Amino acid sequence: MYAWIWRHLPGPLPIRVLQALLLIAAVVALLLFVVFPWVEPRLPFGDPTLE
Amino acid sequence: MTTTRASPQAPPPEPGPRRSRSVLRGLGELLITLGLIVLLFVFYEIQVTSWFSAREQEAATAELRQRWDRPSGDEGEQRLDPIPGSGFARLHVPALGPDFPFTVLEGTGRESLAAGPGHYAGTALPGQRGNFAVAGHRSGRMAPFGELDGLSSCDALVVETRAEWFVYRVLPMSEEAEGWNRGEQDPDCSGVAPIGGPYQGVHGRTVVGPARREVINPVPGRPPGTVPEEWRSRLITLTTCHPKYSAEKRMIVHGVLTKRYPKVAERPELRPPELEEG
Repeated sequence: MYAWIWRHLPGPLPIRVLQALLLIAAVVALLLFVVFPWVEPRLPFGDPTLE
Repeated sequence: MTTTRASPQAPPPEPGPRRSRSVLRGLGELLITLGLIVLLFVFYEIQVTSWFSAREQEAATAELRQRWDRPSGDEGEQRLDPIPGSGFARLHVPALGPDFPFTVLEGTGRESLAAGPGHYAGTALPGQRGNFAVAGHRSGRMAPFGELDGLSSCDALVVETRAEWFVYRVLPMSEEAEGWNRGEQDPDCSGVAPIGGPYQGVHGRTVVGPARREVINPVPGRPPGTVPEEWRSRLITLTTCHPKYSAEKRMIVHGVLTKRYPKVAERPELRPPELEEG
């Protein structure tokens, strides 16, 4: 998977490294700001209130 | 002579093993990726939610300050009428160090609790007879009640409202209740003693199941209405999850009102000496 992505990044090495970092940052941001806030209420963690 | 076949290039691998190797490799990458996502989620739960909450707590505090600073001669404004989702009091716990104070918001919904400790709607207000009950996160979202297990009996829980300061103190722990005499010996413990009567069994800290809502009743553990209002003590109850990072049980801290000071509008520097404890 990662090798396949790497092979398909265009440009010389420094540009590819930059693109790879941007891709990682985009995925992390998607997880932190969209996926996790959505998932979290559905998980049984840390509810401090009484039912 | 043709030597092309003897070139150092590796012979093309058999299609079978090659395929299974790439499947295995893909599986490995997937598992590593999942592991990284789980680690990132832990970081999110503990750290990132705290960053979000810090912003909301700051906004709630600014709004509360603004409301308190508005001059109000009229009685209705002086009364505490908490608006759901808005801050209405400040909770100082000197024993828990510099993370405090927190602005307490009305309501215990997800959104209130994401901004700070939340007051169980319908329970007593600060200083009233009955039970001023507040929930707060133990981990993540700034974890206002993260160190609740570090509180000892007689530690001050100071609630600041627009017009008054209320000094509550943690009740004796269950193992201390018998033969309690620190009320006379320790100045910090004056006014703190097992209450007795219908309050038998109400201790400084307990761990209960999540469905034990009766701990926030006007008299903890007794059905509402069994004790007439004029016989009720003025309690504070803090609830948080237990053990840390879990929602299996709840940790409950009970305190009793020992002192109250009016605020003097012209002298905002007058603060209860209890705030310096800890």
